[in-house]
Order: sequence, then structure tokens, then C-alpha cells
Amino acid sequence: MSSKDEWQKYQEALRRGDRAAAAEAFRRYQEAKKREGKGGSKPTLVNLSTKAKAYPNAIPVDQIPEELEKNPEFFDLMRKVVTKEK
Amino acid sequence: MPATLCMADFDLPTRSSSGFVLRYILPRLEPVSLYGILDRRLPFQLSAPQSDIIIGVGHGQQDAFTGQHEVVIWEVGKYDPREVEGKVIKLLSCQTGVELGPDLIRNGALSFAGYKDDYLWICDADLASTPWGDKMAATCLMPVVDSINALLDGKSAREAFDIEFEGYTRNAEAEEDELIKSCIEFNHDNSVLLGDPGARVRARPGLALPFRIFPPPPIILPVGT
Repeated sequence: MSSKDEWQKYQEALRRGDRAAAAEAFRRYQEAKKREGKGGSKPTLVNLSTKAKAYPNAIPVDQIPEELEKNPEFFDLMRKVVTKEK
Repeated sequence: MPATLCMADFDLPTRSSSGFVLRYILPRLEPVSLYGILDRRLPFQLSAPQSDIIIGVGHGQQDAFTGQHEVVIWEVGKYDPREVEGKVIKLLSCQTGVELGPDLIRNGALSFAGYKDDYLWICDADLASTPWGDKMAATCLMPVVDSINALLDGKSAREAFDIEFEGYTRNAEAEEDELIKSCIEFNHDNSVLLGDPGARVRARPGLALPFRIFPPPPIILPVGT
């Protein structure tokens, strides 16, 4: 399955609010991307929010699934970013 | 009038974002910039009232913009209006478009450009010492650089804002990585311009020839980063 297909499954899991499924879908998306030879040497999701936020300013992309599972605020952020739902 | 350029540089997101400003904006401006440990409240208080444009890169929240190690630079209701009166302001920071931006305009800023939600991008942590060479980060950060350069070319706040907007649109259309594309679109959707869209500052000279060709030397990173 292509990374685009896996991304759609990730989007659906975020819309459903299913953290475990979203984490698993993101893992599969990452594996598909590796198979396709995409991505930098150490891609990291970063943001410019202050420490007042409950999620880190820098999360290596391969650790996003763990953060999705354990951190509801980060899950909500990713849902906004990926699904465009406010 | 000089420009005030605040560039926090103490963690991966500030190093990545300030790196692009260091490469493409700093050489156009006056020699004094608030970079790294100088990016604190007192030097800012001295510099800001004399400036026609304030450009800030650092962590932020709805009511505050911060400098090095998140020391507060501006907080709603806790600054001298002389720091903002008659100024064109651009903040690359999270959420400052919600409360701080409107407050800056109420206190006399000509225009404010910032973001209503988190500012996110994907960077390559292995390029922390040469962040300006990070092609993944460039998809989000080069539209910001282009808009700041437009302001420094003498273009209006609206023209500069549109340049950033179009840059995001163009990069999102060309991007194949879904996560990077989502970040670009998120930043695009949360960009905000307040105040007078016709506000502008005097044009500065363009990037001098050596700086156009040669990037700065690698940033010396603290041990353990």
C-alpha cells in the first residue's frame, strides 16, 4: 500500500478520535514512506509554542505514534493540522 | 531608522527558524541584531523605540512573544507603547495573532503579521548547524523569508503578506510528503495580518553579492544537542 493510502487511514483515525488507531496508521505511513525512499535523515516535527503547552517543541517523526497515544493535547493538535477540523 | 531583529536560538525550532533569518535577512540589516543571548527584554526595550520595523523569531503564546530561553519580550498590557507606535511588526511565533497582535495594533503599531495557532514545520535535526540548507524546513520557512524581504524591499504589509500566502500555496501544491503538506496548509490557514495593509517601511539595500552566494559558517552547537 502506498504512503498516500496509509495517510488517508491516518486522517480517518484522527477524525474518529481513535488515538491507538491513529498511532498505528502513522507507523504504517512511515514504513510506506521508507519503502518509497522519502524523508530526510532525521525529520522532526517542530513548533514555536511556549512551554505552557503540554506537548514538546520538537518530536522526531518516528516518535509521533507514541506521542499520539500518550498525549491527548498532541493528538488534538495533529487532528487540527491533518484534518483541518477546528 | 534601524530595524529590530529578534532571533532566539536555543533549541531545534528556534535554531531552524532563526537560521533562515540569519542566512537571508540579517545581512540586509544594520549591524546590531538581538541574536541568541542578546534576545532579551532589556536590549529589546532599548532597540525597539528607535526602529521602524520589528521582526521577531521565537516561541510565543496568545498573549506573549518570547526571546532567548523564553524570556518575555512582549506581553499584553506589560510594555511601553513607544515600543510599538508607528511600527511594522512581523512575528514568526505561535498564536501571537490571537491576543498580542491586536494589542500591539491598539497601542499604535501600523501593522502586525503573525499566526493564530501553532506554527509547525518539519525540519531535519541532522542539519541543526546549517539550518538554512534544510529543504524540508524551507517549504514553510522560505515563504516567511520572502515576505520579510518584501517588507525590506519597501513593499506594503499586504503585498508582503500575499507573498507569504502564495508561497505556502505553491509549496503545498508541489509537496509530495503529506505531513509536510499538512503543516504548510496549517500555517497558511493561520496566517493573519492586522492593522493598516498599506503600511510600509523604507526600502533597505538588497542582499549583497557575497551573502547571496556564500552561506554563513556552520553554527557552533552546544555540546549534547
